[in-house]
Amino acid sequence: MFEVRFHGRGGQGAVMAAQTLAEAAVIEGRHAHAFPFFGAERRGAPVMAFARIDDEKISIKSQVYEPDLLVVLDESLIDIEPVARGLKKDGKAVVNTRKSPQEIDLGVEVECATVNANAIALEFLKAPIVNTAILGAVARITDLVSIGSMKQAIENRFGEKFGEAAARINIGAAEAAYEQASVGLCQGRRPLVIKREWLPDWRDIPIGNSLSAGIKDGVMVGPGGARQNLTGSWRMQTPHYDQEKCVRCLRCWFTCPEGCIKREDDDHVRWDLNYCKGCGICSQVCPVTAIDMIKGGSR
Amino acid sequence: MSTIKDMPRNDPFTSGHGACAGCGMAVAVKNIMRILGENTTVYVPASCLIVISAMYPTTNFRTPYLYTAFENTGAVITGIRAAQRRRGLSSTVVGLAGDGGTFDIGLQALSGAAERNEDVLYVCLDNEGYMNTGIQRSGATPFGAWTTTSPVGNVVKGKREFKKDLMAIIAAHDPPYAASLSIAHFNDFVKKVEKAKNKKGFRFLHVMTPCVPGWRSDPSMTVEISRLAVETGMWTLFEIEEGSSRTTYRPQTMLPVTDYLKLQGRFRHMENDDIAKLQDWLCRKWYIHYGHEAEQPVCAVFEKRKPMRTPQEEQLHFI
Amino acid sequence: MKVRVISADHAVAYAAKIARTEVIPSFPITPQTLIVEQLAEFISNGELDADFIPADSEHSVMSIAIGASAGGVRVFTATSSQGLALMHEMLYCVPQNRLPIVMANVNRSLGAASGIWVEYNDSMAERDSGWLQLYVEDNQEALDATLMAFRLAEDRRVLLPVMICLDGFILSHTVEKVELPEQEEMDNFLPKYDPLNILDPADPKVINPIIPPEYAMEMRYQLDRAIEHSREVIVEVEKEFAKAFGRSYGGLIDTYRMEDAKFAMLTLGTATGLARRTVDEMRAEGKKAGLIKLRFMRPFPFKELCEATKDLKSLGVFDRSVSFNGGGPVHTEVAASLCNVPVTVTGHIAGIGGRDITPRHMRDMYDLVEKATKGEDVRKVTWHGLRGDME
Repeated sequence: MFEVRFHGRGGQGAVMAAQTLAEAAVIEGRHAHAFPFFGAERRGAPVMAFARIDDEKISIKSQVYEPDLLVVLDESLIDIEPVARGLKKDGKAVVNTRKSPQEIDLGVEVECATVNANAIALEFLKAPIVNTAILGAVARITDLVSIGSMKQAIENRFGEKFGEAAARINIGAAEAAYEQASVGLCQGRRPLVIKREWLPDWRDIPIGNSLSAGIKDGVMVGPGGARQNLTGSWRMQTPHYDQEKCVRCLRCWFTCPEGCIKREDDDHVRWDLNYCKGCGICSQVCPVTAIDMIKGGSR
Repeated sequence: MSTIKDMPRNDPFTSGHGACAGCGMAVAVKNIMRILGENTTVYVPASCLIVISAMYPTTNFRTPYLYTAFENTGAVITGIRAAQRRRGLSSTVVGLAGDGGTFDIGLQALSGAAERNEDVLYVCLDNEGYMNTGIQRSGATPFGAWTTTSPVGNVVKGKREFKKDLMAIIAAHDPPYAASLSIAHFNDFVKKVEKAKNKKGFRFLHVMTPCVPGWRSDPSMTVEISRLAVETGMWTLFEIEEGSSRTTYRPQTMLPVTDYLKLQGRFRHMENDDIAKLQDWLCRKWYIHYGHEAEQPVCAVFEKRKPMRTPQEEQLHFI
Repeated sequence: MKVRVISADHAVAYAAKIARTEVIPSFPITPQTLIVEQLAEFISNGELDADFIPADSEHSVMSIAIGASAGGVRVFTATSSQGLALMHEMLYCVPQNRLPIVMANVNRSLGAASGIWVEYNDSMAERDSGWLQLYVEDNQEALDATLMAFRLAEDRRVLLPVMICLDGFILSHTVEKVELPEQEEMDNFLPKYDPLNILDPADPKVINPIIPPEYAMEMRYQLDRAIEHSREVIVEVEKEFAKAFGRSYGGLIDTYRMEDAKFAMLTLGTATGLARRTVDEMRAEGKKAGLIKLRFMRPFPFKELCEATKDLKSLGVFDRSVSFNGGGPVHTEVAASLCNVPVTVTGHIAGIGGRDITPRHMRDMYDLVEKATKGEDVRKVTWHGLRGDME
């Protein structure tokens, strides 16, 4: 059995990628399944999806903990999550990045295909939905499915949902990624640090589904504790503030959905970029263009 | 408190929530909580808000917070307020519900609380659909809009029904205070929340909260879309106080609805017939709210065949 | 103490009154309505200082109850049948949040082939919700059980909601002699409510956010154990009640002439009185009959039943409800709990949809149970009073 784990962000199409890979395997006469991590994540938040491929009917329904193939749809996830956790020593990886495999440090040294799926998606789809491009690179690095079956699967799934034209464009993106992907060994130096969690025994959970604000096992709990989620890691563009131009109208402070714009005593503002998701509302509402959105995220 | 500048600086609704970038609901909730302050008790029914802000073991609300189900906001806040009053607490008890939880499944409990004139604040965060479950149509979804349950097919294209006039239903309960708010009309927003906070009895706030994935809009345009909603008549800013209604902001001239539609993918498929139908509906709504004095150029077609209404009908739509 | 001739609905309302209930959300449904009417009257006469909240539905009743209980006050309400079913969603919120709401459910049939008459299907359908659930035999027990319910529910070792189930019409609308305790006696028995988790901005708590899989399982187990541990408190509260009011009911189960019994019926609700009478009748005939009265359906008296039935040859279980194609729910639970006792267990369904249960029916049940002691073949489940032969 061959197991695949996809890491992406809500809206990038990780689930659709997993489903399409499974369909490609079925086209080749094998058994396969695909499913998302059933969370409640929103656009931009880290998400996971899983796929399994085998010659027999697949009876296991658990999540994938030790993947043979790791697919990272968003490079920035490598810095915020131990994406390569459990990846088999002889496993493989596909990463959406403009870098070469040698420049990528996943924390496990494996054969890795890198491809600038963002650029390909923008060229073909005019949107940063990288799932079909990344599948081209998957076909390239593994002999799991042929690029032909992958194209057929894209046609089936995308054609059915979005129409023939959309299917054609997505096939184009997959083909381009298949051609452009570079394959090599990635680095394995990064420690795969597991996120700290409070996981008490049943006796230690405060009764009544209730919590006061506090710290438990090093993590915040209770009212207001969600501020430990540094959502700035979702950001793809970053506000640049020109204080000289600012007329202190506070429109940006009012309309920032994250509450990450802080108000100084004199009503100038500053950003807590730990939380900025880069939506660009502040720039849009600014009456004097004192805020520009600059391409690029938290790192 | 009457302008942005008067607002407190601290955030009872903290950063670090899981809303999509550019979420209109997050803008509304953050500012409502700033104005209500920390002496507030929050109830949130099933909605995007609970999912993005209250996953055990944390929440983004620094205030007391309760969740139970989808359809019972009006009822649960009634109970909380009764208990807090008996315990001598003065906290503002607020229910922050979505449009599905208000227009549809929660309408009965809402009506009960309004009819009993419970001393609570009910806020409807209206993103015009069941966005939490993946964008399904609700009674709040506007005419023509795409959702997953009002899909754009070869035969039927988008929602066929017009948005339910929720505020007329609220007005029929004769509440001490009810108002519609826009996140793009800042000082109007501040004044209304402040007013709602300080009134006694049943208070209702209806806020338009654009939804980036559900409306298929650019994250940076959330506030601009709210502004255009008011300028085109898709949203009207008014308040109902002790039985009388007044608009709190009047656009100079009515912009054509296409200015609003074109920023949102959910309307992209709309053909001229449907756009004209929506424009007609808006013109009728416009004259109900703002009166007939100034004829709007975009309503010229509508003007020619303006239906006459009986006084009873006028009364029914007094808001 | 005063003696009055009143209905069980009145008795339950009186109990809620002297418990100094603070919030009473209500919605009318026959045959419960007399309870909330009586409470409304107490309040309007100034005999009870409580918020009476006439809700828009039973779903809202339980929602208001949850809000008020989480707000930190003592809450009582009452319902029946379809009303309880409409509450179903909200019932499940209460035990997990550990809110000690006390509710009377006046049993009435549910669903299609519906009527307003007694049947236990309404409350039996909620036995998995985490509420403590008990059934009463007469008006005095309805009153006493309600009084005890507050103390049990609010005990810090328990903190669980309690549902008192009483037969529609047979109790709710029947007047009989009831001893009414004085307010002062009740004040001595029931301490002031001291809530654990409350919604108060001075000490902000989050109650019941979304619970992900990392926590839900532990929370469910915690609740399961809390229900288990409520057994000891039930026995303790019973003792305290006996001390204060001079009446006792035996805890989770009560037994009658079981010392040397060879066969017995297990009953709940008003049928128990009839069974008691039948036992006497059979004893007079020299037959070793006995009776087990099931008081609590939750916590389920596993240990107590094993102990009570260990010398029996045959046990019949009475059900006034049907788990379609599965016999009666009490029967299946009792049968499952007696795995180590070599007793023949048979099910006896009667009184469905409010059909009157006569002394003849009860005697028929006992006769069948006795027959089983002789090794004769007895049907696993018998419907008593059914027209036409059973298949």
